[in-house]
Amino acid sequence: MLPFIVVFFMFLVVPLVYAVYTSFFTDRMIGGTVWSGLANYKEALTSGAFWTGMARTLLFAAIQVPVMIIIAAFFATMFDIGVARFGSFFRTVFFIPFAVPAVVATSMWASMLQTRVGVFVRIFADLGLPNPNFFGPGHLLGVIVLIAIWEWTGYTIVILYTALKSVPREVVESAIVDGASFRRVVTRIKLPIIRPAIILVIIINVIGALQLFTEPYLLSPLAPNVSANYTPTLFMYNEAFSAQFYNFAAAISVVLALIIIIISGAFLLSQRKKGALV
Amino acid sequence: MSTVAVLRSAPTARRRRRDSEKIDLVPLHLYGLRRRTVNIVTLACGLFAVFTLIPIWWIFVSSTKTVPNFNTTFGFWFAHPFVLLSNLREVFSNKEDGSFLQWLTNTVIYAGVGGMGATVLSAMAGYGFARFDFRGKSLLFLFAMAALLIPIAAFAVPLYLVYAKVHLDSTMPGIFIPFMVSPVSVYLMRVYVGGSVPRELMDAARIDGAGETRIFLRIAVPLMVPALVTVFMLNVVSSWNNYFLPFIVNNNAKLNTLTQGLALWMNHTNIAGSSEDFTVLTIAAGMMAITPLIIMFLVLQRYWRGGLLLGGITG
Repeated sequence: MLPFIVVFFMFLVVPLVYAVYTSFFTDRMIGGTVWSGLANYKEALTSGAFWTGMARTLLFAAIQVPVMIIIAAFFATMFDIGVARFGSFFRTVFFIPFAVPAVVATSMWASMLQTRVGVFVRIFADLGLPNPNFFGPGHLLGVIVLIAIWEWTGYTIVILYTALKSVPREVVESAIVDGASFRRVVTRIKLPIIRPAIILVIIINVIGALQLFTEPYLLSPLAPNVSANYTPTLFMYNEAFSAQFYNFAAAISVVLALIIIIISGAFLLSQRKKGALV
Repeated sequence: MSTVAVLRSAPTARRRRRDSEKIDLVPLHLYGLRRRTVNIVTLACGLFAVFTLIPIWWIFVSSTKTVPNFNTTFGFWFAHPFVLLSNLREVFSNKEDGSFLQWLTNTVIYAGVGGMGATVLSAMAGYGFARFDFRGKSLLFLFAMAALLIPIAAFAVPLYLVYAKVHLDSTMPGIFIPFMVSPVSVYLMRVYVGGSVPRELMDAARIDGAGETRIFLRIAVPLMVPALVTVFMLNVVSSWNNYFLPFIVNNNAKLNTLTQGLALWMNHTNIAGSSEDFTVLTIAAGMMAITPLIIMFLVLQRYWRGGLLLGGITG
């Protein structure tokens, strides 16, 4: 008990407190580090670079999270009811990407979609179709969505599937006896009962999506469209380590954390009002 | 006739064992499902399985090719010459940006120590939260859970700044200690202890004069084994796969993780005009990096498939 609290405080709470503290200062060429109050925050909140990145990650989350959760919920219910043949085999296969690091996943998809010799580009060429520039401005976000869906759908299926398994069999049976259709059993009984699990999955994925970093960072050498402020986390990283504006980067960290906490908190509250137990 | 009876009448013993999972299922025909629906859903599963396996198949096929073949032959099928072994040898012998063996060793240490630490810490914390009452308990638990909402991205740079002050940046403990803080694991452990370590047993041991440490080690821990295995696995995987945190807090090339090393090699393949040779090398190294974890998953699947996640989410 105690060791956890100690480590928890030293490596999670201390950095956060320090982030807030240090974000109130500014490094000056002359005069060293000086107290600058909310200046860093003002700069972050009024910077177009921050908000374009933020808007892009919000768009990313708005596409990736619903698409993935719909796919995952579909497969989880089908496995749970036992509609698919070889269900256990498919569950295992779908879970494999969870064991693949984001770095390797990005590297694989990047090479496969690569614009010169990538396997898909060559298939397009063989079919006589024009080169689909997967890393072009219009497609890039789609590619990142694809990679994220590939990485996380299987894990989400397992979480939803295990939650579905806890729905008592009697409930389903009595609904069927009462003449409920298949669709009704799924949408009116199964899914509402596992609502806490769905909410949890949504929250985890929104938090993950809003701190998007690894995929765009690794794609950047291939895709010139990945700018230094493509996502808020990339922006923060570049401000900290390329520009050495640590105090400013700390302020961005705090703003990003607050935005994520506000979004997920608001979502949790809205769900609680509807009577969900979270 | 009840479902159980129908399923139990299955002819062979082997069949019966495989159906043990299915006994709890409501038979399909009761839903009024047609065979066609079953076929369509199975087809959908098949398609998604293809999507899932495409990159895995591709990485395996590609790591058996020479660089010219990689650039000119069909990506989803093998080509002559078949050079898997020499590619793998090259992965271990190439010393650009560091060495694969070094990264692998580092990652095994970080993931092993980090996963072990996370398991021990969260077992103690979860046990404490589940079985002891103390002042401020619910507030503290709420605080620990609120940490779930805080993005890693938000505290990585501050963590680096704190590290720089206390000289933990670019050190081994600096990389693996953060892996030990896992609020999810604490939550899972708390739920699991709540459901599987009976208070009566603890009380009985207390009456017999056992100390608290002894009760924890001799009574609680053996009952917690399935949860310990799952939490350990989940933490090993997340530490093994983590890129962002080591990337921020470590700039000593000797301490690089596998993911950091692979990202460095990947950069050699991507930047236009740089040595193309790294393409296949990176692919082969990537395959080497994912194989141990995939094997671990397949071997240990009955653990992570177990009821722990279930208890954790609906409890």
